[in-house]
Amino acid sequence: MPATGSNSAAAVWTILRKECRSEWRTRYGLNAALLFAVASLTAVSFAAGRLSDRTDLLAALFWIVLLFATLASMSHAFVREVEGRTMLLMRLVASPTEIATGKLCFNLLFLLVVEAVTVPLFLVLTGAPPVRWGTFLAVLGLGTISLAASSTLVGAVIAQTRGRGALFAGVSLPLLLPVLAAAVAGTRDMWASNPVASSVRLLAAYAVALLSASLLLYDHLWED
Amino acid sequence: MSAPAARVHGDAVSHRYGSRVALQPLSFDFGGPGVVAVTGENGSGKSTLLRILAGLMRPTRGATSLEVGGVAVPPRERRHHVGLSTPELSFYEEFTAEENLRFAAETRGLPNVQPAVRDALEKTGLSSRAGDRVAEFSSGMKQRLRLGFAVLHRPAVLMLDEPGAHLDEEGKAVVERLVLAHSATGLVIVATNEPREIEVASHRIQLSGRGLDHPS
Repeated sequence: MPATGSNSAAAVWTILRKECRSEWRTRYGLNAALLFAVASLTAVSFAAGRLSDRTDLLAALFWIVLLFATLASMSHAFVREVEGRTMLLMRLVASPTEIATGKLCFNLLFLLVVEAVTVPLFLVLTGAPPVRWGTFLAVLGLGTISLAASSTLVGAVIAQTRGRGALFAGVSLPLLLPVLAAAVAGTRDMWASNPVASSVRLLAAYAVALLSASLLLYDHLWED
Repeated sequence: MSAPAARVHGDAVSHRYGSRVALQPLSFDFGGPGVVAVTGENGSGKSTLLRILAGLMRPTRGATSLEVGGVAVPPRERRHHVGLSTPELSFYEEFTAEENLRFAAETRGLPNVQPAVRDALEKTGLSSRAGDRVAEFSSGMKQRLRLGFAVLHRPAVLMLDEPGAHLDEEGKAVVERLVLAHSATGLVIVATNEPREIEVASHRIQLSGRGLDHPS
Protein backbone atom coordinates (compact mmCIF):
# COMPACT_ATOMS: atom_id res chain seq x y z
CA MET A 1 0.00 0.00 0.00
CA PRO A 2 1.40 3.42 -0.76
CA ALA A 3 2.21 4.83 2.60
CA THR A 4 1.17 8.37 1.84
CA GLY A 5 -0.39 10.47 4.52
CA SER A 6 -2.92 13.19 4.01
CA ASN A 7 -1.66 15.67 6.55
CA SER A 8 -2.17 18.97 4.78
CA ALA A 9 -0.50 20.99 7.53
CA ALA A 10 2.65 18.91 7.18
CA ALA A 11 2.61 19.33 3.40
CA VAL A 12 2.20 23.10 3.74
CA TRP A 13 5.05 23.21 6.26
CA THR A 14 7.28 21.20 3.91
CA ILE A 15 6.48 23.50 0.99
CA LEU A 16 7.17 26.57 3.15
CA ARG A 17 10.57 25.15 4.18
CA LYS A 18 11.34 24.34 0.55
CA GLU A 19 10.51 27.91 -0.49
CA CYS A 20 12.72 29.34 2.25
CA ARG A 21 15.63 27.08 1.36
CA SER A 22 15.24 27.87 -2.34
CA GLU A 23 15.13 31.63 -1.63
CA TRP A 24 18.14 31.35 0.65
CA ARG A 25 20.17 29.58 -2.04
CA THR A 26 19.11 31.63 -5.03
CA ARG A 27 18.38 35.00 -3.33
CA TYR A 28 15.88 35.37 -6.15
CA GLY A 29 13.59 37.91 -4.54
CA LEU A 30 14.96 39.05 -1.21
CA ASN A 31 18.00 40.93 -2.49
CA ALA A 32 15.96 42.74 -5.13
CA ALA A 33 13.23 43.66 -2.62
CA LEU A 34 15.69 44.98 -0.04
CA LEU A 35 17.65 46.83 -2.70
CA PHE A 36 14.50 48.55 -3.91
CA ALA A 37 13.36 49.45 -0.40
CA VAL A 38 16.72 50.83 0.72
CA ALA A 39 17.46 52.62 -2.56
CA SER A 40 14.05 54.27 -2.86
CA LEU A 41 13.99 55.39 0.79
CA THR A 42 17.51 56.77 0.54
CA ALA A 43 16.67 58.62 -2.67
CA VAL A 44 13.52 60.12 -1.13
CA SER A 45 15.36 61.20 2.00
CA PHE A 46 18.07 62.88 -0.08
CA ALA A 47 15.56 64.62 -2.33
CA ALA A 48 12.88 65.66 0.15
CA GLY A 49 14.66 65.57 3.49
CA ARG A 50 12.57 64.85 6.57
CA LEU A 51 8.82 64.70 5.99
CA SER A 52 7.58 64.68 9.59
CA ASP A 53 4.84 67.25 8.89
CA ARG A 54 3.48 65.47 5.80
CA THR A 55 1.81 62.40 7.29
CA ASP A 56 -0.41 61.94 4.22
CA LEU A 57 2.66 61.74 1.99
CA LEU A 58 4.49 59.53 4.47
CA ALA A 59 1.64 57.02 4.60
CA ALA A 60 1.44 56.78 0.82
CA LEU A 61 5.21 56.52 0.47
CA PHE A 62 5.39 53.78 3.10
CA TRP A 63 2.91 51.52 1.35
CA ILE A 64 4.25 52.27 -2.13
CA VAL A 65 7.73 51.21 -1.03
CA LEU A 66 6.39 48.02 0.55
CA LEU A 67 4.19 47.22 -2.43
CA PHE A 68 6.84 47.69 -5.10
CA ALA A 69 9.59 46.04 -3.09
CA THR A 70 7.66 42.84 -2.61
CA LEU A 71 5.01 42.49 -5.30
CA ALA A 72 7.21 41.29 -8.15
CA SER A 73 8.81 38.56 -6.04
CA MET A 74 5.57 37.41 -4.46
CA SER A 75 3.68 37.17 -7.73
CA HIS A 76 6.57 35.16 -9.18
CA ALA A 77 6.26 32.41 -6.58
CA PHE A 78 4.23 30.32 -9.01
CA VAL A 79 5.78 31.63 -12.21
CA ARG A 80 9.16 30.32 -11.04
CA GLU A 81 7.62 26.86 -10.72
CA VAL A 82 6.20 27.07 -14.23
CA GLU A 83 9.34 28.48 -15.83
CA GLY A 84 11.56 26.03 -13.95
CA ARG A 85 9.16 23.27 -15.06
CA THR A 86 8.81 22.11 -11.45
CA MET A 87 5.07 22.71 -11.25
CA LEU A 88 4.42 19.12 -12.31
CA LEU A 89 6.53 17.84 -9.43
CA MET A 90 4.56 20.01 -7.05
CA ARG A 91 1.23 18.84 -8.43
CA LEU A 92 2.26 15.21 -8.08
CA VAL A 93 3.10 15.52 -4.39
CA ALA A 94 0.57 18.04 -3.08
CA SER A 95 -2.92 19.35 -3.71
CA PRO A 96 -3.38 22.81 -5.25
CA THR A 97 -4.61 24.13 -1.88
CA GLU A 98 -1.53 22.79 -0.09
CA ILE A 99 0.76 24.29 -2.73
CA ALA A 100 -0.94 27.68 -2.68
CA THR A 101 -1.13 27.79 1.12
CA GLY A 102 2.57 26.97 1.34
CA LYS A 103 3.30 29.78 -1.10
CA LEU A 104 1.03 32.15 0.83
CA CYS A 105 2.87 31.38 4.07
CA PHE A 106 6.18 32.02 2.31
CA ASN A 107 4.92 35.32 0.90
CA LEU A 108 3.82 36.37 4.38
CA LEU A 109 7.22 35.50 5.78
CA PHE A 110 8.91 37.28 2.88
CA LEU A 111 6.91 40.44 3.57
CA LEU A 112 7.73 40.27 7.28
CA VAL A 113 11.46 40.04 6.55
CA VAL A 114 11.31 42.98 4.14
CA GLU A 115 9.26 44.95 6.66
CA ALA A 116 11.74 44.19 9.44
CA VAL A 117 14.33 46.12 7.43
CA THR A 118 12.08 48.67 5.74
CA VAL A 119 10.03 49.91 8.71
CA PRO A 120 12.93 51.05 10.95
CA LEU A 121 14.75 52.48 7.95
CA PHE A 122 11.64 54.35 6.86
CA LEU A 123 11.02 55.80 10.32
CA VAL A 124 14.62 56.99 10.63
CA LEU A 125 15.20 58.32 7.10
CA THR A 126 11.90 60.14 6.66
CA GLY A 127 11.70 61.56 10.16
CA ALA A 128 8.21 60.17 10.60
CA PRO A 129 6.28 61.27 13.73
CA PRO A 130 6.20 58.89 16.70
CA VAL A 131 4.28 55.73 15.98
CA ARG A 132 1.33 54.42 18.01
CA TRP A 133 2.65 50.90 17.91
CA GLY A 134 -0.54 48.97 18.63
CA THR A 135 -2.47 50.76 15.89
CA PHE A 136 0.46 50.76 13.50
CA LEU A 137 1.06 47.02 13.89
CA ALA A 138 -2.65 46.29 13.41
CA VAL A 139 -2.73 48.23 10.13
CA LEU A 140 0.62 46.83 9.03
CA GLY A 141 -0.33 43.24 9.93
CA LEU A 142 -3.69 43.29 8.19
CA GLY A 143 -2.24 45.10 5.17
CA THR A 144 0.53 42.50 5.02
CA ILE A 145 -1.95 39.62 5.07
CA SER A 146 -4.06 41.24 2.36
CA LEU A 147 -1.05 42.00 0.16
CA ALA A 148 0.28 38.45 0.51
CA ALA A 149 -3.13 36.87 -0.07
CA SER A 150 -3.92 38.94 -3.15
CA SER A 151 -0.50 38.50 -4.77
CA THR A 152 -0.55 34.75 -4.06
CA LEU A 153 -4.02 34.38 -5.51
CA VAL A 154 -3.20 36.39 -8.64
CA GLY A 155 0.13 34.57 -9.01
CA ALA A 156 -1.64 31.21 -8.81
CA VAL A 157 -4.30 32.19 -11.32
CA ILE A 158 -1.94 33.61 -13.93
CA ALA A 159 0.90 31.12 -13.51
CA GLN A 160 -0.04 28.87 -16.38
CA THR A 161 -1.44 31.48 -18.71
CA ARG A 162 0.13 33.14 -21.70
CA GLY A 163 0.83 36.87 -21.39
CA ARG A 164 1.31 36.58 -17.65
CA GLY A 165 2.82 40.05 -17.26
CA ALA A 166 -0.09 41.94 -18.77
CA LEU A 167 -2.61 39.73 -17.05
CA PHE A 168 -0.93 40.21 -13.69
CA ALA A 169 -1.30 43.99 -13.89
CA GLY A 170 -4.90 43.77 -15.02
CA VAL A 171 -6.00 41.27 -12.38
CA SER A 172 -3.94 42.74 -9.54
CA LEU A 173 -5.12 46.32 -9.77
CA PRO A 174 -8.73 45.84 -8.62
CA LEU A 175 -7.59 43.49 -5.86
CA LEU A 176 -4.83 45.76 -4.57
CA LEU A 177 -6.58 49.12 -4.69
CA PRO A 178 -8.89 48.50 -1.68
CA VAL A 179 -5.93 47.19 0.35
CA LEU A 180 -3.78 50.19 -0.49
CA ALA A 181 -6.56 52.70 0.08
CA ALA A 182 -7.44 51.32 3.52
CA ALA A 183 -3.81 50.78 4.55
CA VAL A 184 -2.73 54.27 3.51
CA ALA A 185 -5.76 55.84 5.22
CA GLY A 186 -5.16 53.84 8.41
CA THR A 187 -1.45 54.71 8.53
CA ARG A 188 -2.14 58.40 7.84
CA ASP A 189 -4.83 58.54 10.55
CA MET A 190 -2.52 56.77 12.99
CA TRP A 191 0.09 59.52 12.54
CA ALA A 192 -2.57 62.26 12.62
CA SER A 193 -3.98 60.79 15.86
CA ASN A 194 -7.36 60.28 14.21
CA PRO A 195 -9.52 57.16 14.76
CA VAL A 196 -8.43 54.24 12.58
CA ALA A 197 -11.18 51.77 13.44
CA SER A 198 -12.91 52.01 10.07
CA SER A 199 -9.67 51.37 8.15
CA VAL A 200 -8.75 48.46 10.40
CA ARG A 201 -12.23 46.95 10.01
CA LEU A 202 -12.04 47.30 6.23
CA LEU A 203 -8.58 45.74 6.11
CA ALA A 204 -9.68 42.88 8.38
CA ALA A 205 -12.79 42.19 6.33
CA TYR A 206 -10.81 42.31 3.12
CA ALA A 207 -8.14 39.97 4.47
CA VAL A 208 -10.77 37.47 5.61
CA ALA A 209 -12.61 37.71 2.28
CA LEU A 210 -9.41 37.25 0.27
CA LEU A 211 -8.25 34.27 2.33
CA SER A 212 -11.68 32.63 2.16
CA ALA A 213 -12.00 33.15 -1.58
CA SER A 214 -8.48 31.85 -2.08
CA LEU A 215 -9.13 28.66 -0.14
CA LEU A 216 -12.29 28.07 -2.16
CA LEU A 217 -10.57 28.73 -5.48
CA TYR A 218 -7.22 27.03 -5.02
CA ASP A 219 -8.51 23.47 -5.43
CA HIS A 220 -9.89 24.34 -8.84
CA LEU A 221 -6.64 25.76 -10.18
CA TRP A 222 -4.66 24.16 -12.94
CA GLU A 223 -7.38 21.79 -14.10
CA ASP A 224 -6.62 21.45 -17.81
CA MET B 1 5.87 -4.19 0.97
CA SER B 2 3.80 -5.07 -2.12
CA ALA B 3 1.63 -2.70 -4.14
CA PRO B 4 -2.14 -3.26 -3.86
CA ALA B 5 -4.12 -4.50 -6.84
CA ALA B 6 -4.96 -1.70 -9.23
CA ARG B 7 -7.37 -1.52 -12.12
CA VAL B 8 -7.59 1.20 -14.76
CA HIS B 9 -10.62 1.75 -16.94
CA GLY B 10 -11.24 4.16 -19.80
CA ASP B 11 -14.55 4.79 -21.48
CA ALA B 12 -14.35 6.56 -24.88
CA VAL B 13 -11.64 8.86 -23.55
CA SER B 14 -10.48 11.56 -25.91
CA HIS B 15 -8.75 14.90 -25.62
CA ARG B 16 -8.31 18.02 -27.70
CA TYR B 17 -6.07 21.04 -27.25
CA GLY B 18 -8.22 23.66 -28.90
CA SER B 19 -8.89 22.37 -32.40
CA ARG B 20 -6.03 19.87 -32.32
CA VAL B 21 -6.86 16.28 -31.47
CA ALA B 22 -4.40 15.07 -28.83
CA LEU B 23 -6.00 11.71 -28.12
CA GLN B 24 -8.44 9.84 -30.34
CA PRO B 25 -11.42 8.17 -28.57
CA LEU B 26 -10.15 5.17 -26.68
CA SER B 27 -11.66 2.56 -24.37
CA PHE B 28 -9.70 0.10 -22.25
CA ASP B 29 -9.81 -1.93 -19.10
CA PHE B 30 -6.84 -3.62 -17.51
CA GLY B 31 -5.61 -4.49 -14.08
CA GLY B 32 -2.46 -5.44 -12.27
CA PRO B 33 -0.22 -7.11 -11.61
CA GLY B 34 1.46 -6.73 -14.96
CA VAL B 35 2.78 -4.34 -17.55
CA VAL B 36 0.75 -2.41 -20.11
CA ALA B 37 2.55 -0.79 -23.03
CA VAL B 38 1.02 2.30 -24.60
CA THR B 39 2.40 2.69 -28.09
CA GLY B 40 1.81 5.00 -31.01
CA GLU B 41 3.60 7.47 -33.19
CA ASN B 42 4.81 10.86 -31.93
CA GLY B 43 1.85 13.10 -31.19
CA SER B 44 -0.61 10.22 -30.92
CA GLY B 45 -1.43 11.04 -27.30
CA LYS B 46 0.67 8.67 -25.19
CA SER B 47 1.75 11.36 -22.74
CA THR B 48 -1.73 12.90 -22.73
CA LEU B 49 -3.26 9.54 -21.80
CA LEU B 50 -0.82 9.12 -18.92
CA ARG B 51 -1.55 12.63 -17.63
CA ILE B 52 -5.27 11.92 -17.75
CA LEU B 53 -4.85 8.62 -15.93
CA ALA B 54 -2.67 10.29 -13.31
CA GLY B 55 -5.45 12.78 -12.60
CA LEU B 56 -3.44 15.77 -13.83
CA MET B 57 -5.93 16.71 -16.52
CA ARG B 58 -9.51 16.00 -17.47
CA PRO B 59 -10.29 14.42 -20.81
CA THR B 60 -12.36 16.52 -23.20
CA ARG B 61 -14.74 13.58 -23.61
CA GLY B 62 -15.20 10.26 -21.89
CA ALA B 63 -13.99 9.23 -18.46
CA THR B 64 -11.34 7.19 -16.74
CA SER B 65 -11.42 5.38 -13.45
CA LEU B 66 -8.73 4.00 -11.18
CA GLU B 67 -9.44 1.38 -8.54
CA VAL B 68 -6.90 0.52 -5.91
CA GLY B 69 -7.64 -2.43 -3.66
CA GLY B 70 -11.19 -2.43 -5.05
CA VAL B 71 -11.80 1.20 -4.07
CA ALA B 72 -12.39 3.89 -6.71
CA VAL B 73 -9.87 6.72 -6.52
CA PRO B 74 -11.11 10.14 -7.71
CA PRO B 75 -8.77 12.04 -10.04
CA ARG B 76 -7.69 14.51 -7.36
CA GLU B 77 -6.53 11.72 -5.08
CA ARG B 78 -4.72 9.69 -7.74
CA ARG B 79 -1.36 11.30 -7.03
CA HIS B 80 -1.26 9.25 -3.81
CA HIS B 81 -1.45 5.99 -5.77
CA VAL B 82 0.35 6.87 -8.98
CA GLY B 83 4.08 7.17 -9.54
CA LEU B 84 4.67 9.16 -12.72
CA SER B 85 7.93 9.58 -14.57
CA THR B 86 7.71 11.77 -17.64
CA PRO B 87 10.17 13.90 -19.61
CA GLU B 88 8.13 16.95 -18.53
CA LEU B 89 9.05 16.33 -14.91
CA SER B 90 11.82 18.64 -13.67
CA PHE B 91 13.48 19.04 -10.31
CA TYR B 92 14.76 21.98 -8.30
CA GLU B 93 18.20 22.62 -9.78
CA GLU B 94 19.46 24.40 -6.67
CA PHE B 95 18.74 21.31 -4.55
CA THR B 96 20.60 18.02 -4.48
CA ALA B 97 19.03 14.79 -5.73
CA GLU B 98 18.51 13.69 -2.14
CA GLU B 99 16.92 17.01 -1.16
CA ASN B 100 14.52 16.82 -4.10
CA LEU B 101 13.42 13.32 -3.18
CA ARG B 102 13.22 14.19 0.52
CA PHE B 103 11.00 17.16 -0.34
CA ALA B 104 8.73 14.87 -2.38
CA ALA B 105 8.63 12.23 0.36
CA GLU B 106 7.89 14.72 3.14
CA THR B 107 5.21 16.51 1.14
CA ARG B 108 3.60 13.17 0.31
CA GLY B 109 3.58 12.43 4.03
CA LEU B 110 5.64 9.24 3.88
CA PRO B 111 6.25 7.88 7.38
CA ASN B 112 9.85 6.78 6.80
CA VAL B 113 11.33 9.49 4.67
CA GLN B 114 15.03 8.74 4.88
CA PRO B 115 14.77 4.98 4.14
CA ALA B 116 12.40 5.68 1.25
CA VAL B 117 14.76 8.26 -0.26
CA ARG B 118 17.79 6.01 0.22
CA ASP B 119 15.93 3.10 -1.38
CA ALA B 120 14.87 5.18 -4.41
CA LEU B 121 18.42 6.45 -4.90
CA GLU B 122 19.83 2.93 -4.65
CA LYS B 123 17.30 1.48 -7.08
CA THR B 124 18.21 4.08 -9.68
CA GLY B 125 21.96 3.95 -9.11
CA LEU B 126 22.18 7.53 -7.88
CA SER B 127 23.44 6.88 -4.34
CA SER B 128 26.93 8.11 -5.10
CA ARG B 129 25.58 11.37 -6.53
CA ALA B 130 22.86 11.92 -3.91
CA GLY B 131 24.58 15.02 -2.55
CA ASP B 132 25.15 16.69 -5.92
CA ARG B 133 22.92 19.51 -7.08
CA VAL B 134 20.55 18.61 -9.89
CA ALA B 135 21.97 21.51 -11.92
CA GLU B 136 25.14 19.43 -12.27
CA PHE B 137 23.29 16.34 -13.50
CA SER B 138 23.43 15.02 -17.04
CA SER B 139 20.15 14.34 -18.84
CA GLY B 140 20.58 10.62 -18.13
CA MET B 141 21.01 11.23 -14.42
CA LYS B 142 17.94 13.47 -14.39
CA GLN B 143 16.02 10.65 -16.04
CA ARG B 144 17.16 8.27 -13.29
CA LEU B 145 16.00 10.81 -10.72
CA ARG B 146 12.58 10.90 -12.41
CA LEU B 147 12.41 7.12 -12.04
CA GLY B 148 13.43 7.39 -8.38
CA PHE B 149 10.74 10.00 -7.84
CA ALA B 150 8.13 7.71 -9.41
CA VAL B 151 8.89 4.71 -7.19
CA LEU B 152 9.58 6.73 -4.02
CA HIS B 153 6.18 6.11 -2.40
CA ARG B 154 5.69 2.53 -3.69
CA PRO B 155 2.66 3.46 -5.77
CA ALA B 156 -0.04 1.03 -6.85
CA VAL B 157 0.37 2.20 -10.44
CA LEU B 158 3.73 3.07 -11.91
CA MET B 159 3.43 5.21 -15.05
CA LEU B 160 6.56 5.60 -17.12
CA ASP B 161 6.60 7.89 -20.12
CA GLU B 162 9.55 7.13 -22.41
CA PRO B 163 11.49 5.65 -19.46
CA GLY B 164 14.56 4.79 -21.51
CA ALA B 165 15.05 8.32 -22.85
CA HIS B 166 18.61 9.63 -22.35
CA LEU B 167 19.67 6.44 -20.60
CA ASP B 168 22.74 4.34 -21.31
CA GLU B 169 22.67 0.53 -21.23
CA GLU B 170 23.10 0.45 -17.48
CA GLY B 171 20.28 2.96 -17.11
CA LYS B 172 18.01 0.90 -19.33
CA ALA B 173 18.77 -2.10 -17.15
CA VAL B 174 17.65 -0.01 -14.16
CA VAL B 175 14.33 0.60 -15.95
CA GLU B 176 13.92 -3.11 -16.63
CA ARG B 177 14.62 -4.00 -13.02
CA LEU B 178 12.14 -1.39 -11.76
CA VAL B 179 9.44 -2.54 -14.18
CA LEU B 180 9.93 -6.21 -13.37
CA ALA B 181 10.02 -5.61 -9.62
CA HIS B 182 6.94 -3.42 -9.60
CA SER B 183 4.90 -5.50 -12.02
CA ALA B 184 5.22 -8.55 -9.80
CA THR B 185 2.53 -7.11 -7.55
CA GLY B 186 1.49 -3.75 -9.03
CA LEU B 187 0.48 -2.28 -12.35
CA VAL B 188 3.03 -0.66 -14.65
CA ILE B 189 1.97 1.46 -17.62
CA VAL B 190 4.78 2.27 -20.03
CA ALA B 191 4.37 4.79 -22.85
CA THR B 192 7.02 3.87 -25.34
CA ASN B 193 7.93 2.83 -28.85
CA GLU B 194 11.08 0.97 -27.77
CA PRO B 195 10.80 -2.73 -28.71
CA ARG B 196 12.82 -3.69 -25.63
CA GLU B 197 10.32 -1.93 -23.34
CA ILE B 198 7.29 -3.21 -25.24
CA GLU B 199 8.25 -6.87 -25.14
CA VAL B 200 7.94 -7.10 -21.34
CA ALA B 201 4.33 -5.93 -21.52
CA SER B 202 1.46 -8.34 -21.04
CA HIS B 203 -1.03 -5.93 -22.59
CA ARG B 204 -0.69 -3.27 -25.24
CA ILE B 205 -2.67 -0.17 -26.18
CA GLN B 206 -1.89 1.01 -29.70
CA LEU B 207 -2.94 4.63 -30.08
CA SER B 208 -4.35 5.50 -33.46
CA GLY B 209 -3.59 9.21 -33.26
CA ARG B 210 -2.96 11.22 -36.36
CA GLY B 211 0.61 11.96 -35.36
CA LEU B 212 2.77 14.80 -36.62
CA ASP B 213 1.92 14.43 -40.31
CA HIS B 214 -1.75 15.15 -39.73
CA PRO B 215 -1.93 17.65 -36.89
CA SER B 216 -5.67 18.31 -37.09
